[in-house]
Amino acid sequence: MSFFIENWGFISKGLLMTIELALVILLFTTVISVILGVLATLPNKLLRGVIHAYVELFRSIPLIVNVFFIFFGAPMFGLDLTPFAAVTTGLTLWGSANGIEIVRGGLESVARHQWKSAWALGLKPWQIYLYVIGPQSLKAILPAYTGLLTLLVQATSLGALVGVTEFLKTGQTIIERTTMMTGASPAFEVYGIVLLVYFVICSALSWLSRYLERRLNRSSIRSAH
Amino acid sequence: MDFDVNYLIEQWPALLDGVLMTLQVSLLAIGFSLLIGVVGGAIRLFRLPLLSQIVVLYVELIRNTPILVQLFFIFYGLPAVGLGLSLYWSGVLCLSLWAGAYQIENIRGGLATVERGMLEASRALSLRPTQYFCLIALPIAVRTSLPASLNTAISLLKNSSYLQAIGLAELTFVAVDRIATDFRAIEMFSAICVIYLSLVAVLALLTGRLSAYLQRPFQHQ
Repeated sequence: MSFFIENWGFISKGLLMTIELALVILLFTTVISVILGVLATLPNKLLRGVIHAYVELFRSIPLIVNVFFIFFGAPMFGLDLTPFAAVTTGLTLWGSANGIEIVRGGLESVARHQWKSAWALGLKPWQIYLYVIGPQSLKAILPAYTGLLTLLVQATSLGALVGVTEFLKTGQTIIERTTMMTGASPAFEVYGIVLLVYFVICSALSWLSRYLERRLNRSSIRSAH
Repeated sequence: MDFDVNYLIEQWPALLDGVLMTLQVSLLAIGFSLLIGVVGGAIRLFRLPLLSQIVVLYVELIRNTPILVQLFFIFYGLPAVGLGLSLYWSGVLCLSLWAGAYQIENIRGGLATVERGMLEASRALSLRPTQYFCLIALPIAVRTSLPASLNTAISLLKNSSYLQAIGLAELTFVAVDRIATDFRAIEMFSAICVIYLSLVAVLALLTGRLSAYLQRPFQHQ
């Protein structure tokens, strides 16, 4: 256990990097998901097709291949990405593919008559989205989106493979250092603790997702008479 | 930057070896994970004390931790306490445990759709609980949970690429290994993307056939 206390500063830095990665990816993912998710509900067939292809492509490729592709492939296009940027890009492409589906599904889950009523009241399309459909769709979107955030936090561990010093990487480094200094490998304890920390963070998010689902459904039962 | 098809043709034997390894590990793990799913689903269905709680904890633990950390724990962590497995079996174990947790939930979902009347009827016919489970509940549950189980199997196939991180020579490992020497990243990644997409498509097709086959008794009323 002593290595845990000795390396506390290093570990907390790694944990902060994991959180930073997750938040940056969450930000980009949300922007792309909202814009493309809304566009995917418009009647334009071509637009829908292109977005559908984007979603299917990035959901079907293994995530690790996606991240490696960007990390190793970008220099071939003359782009010099840092490991942080490569992981952020790769996970954003994957995360937004999932996010678009959540937003689109949420918007389409709002009853059809809401659109028609809003239209009949003379609201402009952007007003319908912003004031009528948007708020109601949050009920379907928020729990699923929190679930996606759980997966994003887990996926940031891929950073360790391309050289981002995030939580898993700090664990690996501590194992290497301790093995070199003492001759005994603390891999079991360190990876055990790393698992436990991810478990605490992601369980909390999963719990939040279930709580939102219950909470938001309660309001609809009350108003649906 | 140019796309060199000849390079890919040259590298085809290596890629094929990678595909075979990916398939081998994935199919084994799909089998084991379904086994875990059935056993875990049964434990949850009959609410066996203690075992039931262990299954819930296992499912939560797998679903709320990164598969990469699970893999490192199995491959690097377990040998430190004398439970070392070979590279190959570490990979199979990791994928099986990961997908098993999801399969438990899938099969439990299928079991939940089996009507309560079935259980009462089987009791009236004096079937034992194990007979009820194997002969009645499971065959019905398998049909309903097949689409979800397929999704998990597809995710497992995609996640077999994580085994690259411990050095198992599956498809992604072969590709990254070649890129490190030949710098042909675009060709290699395009190739393995196409291969992964095809493997997923074939798996989906086969399961579609299986599903149609299983539905046959219900088609002619």
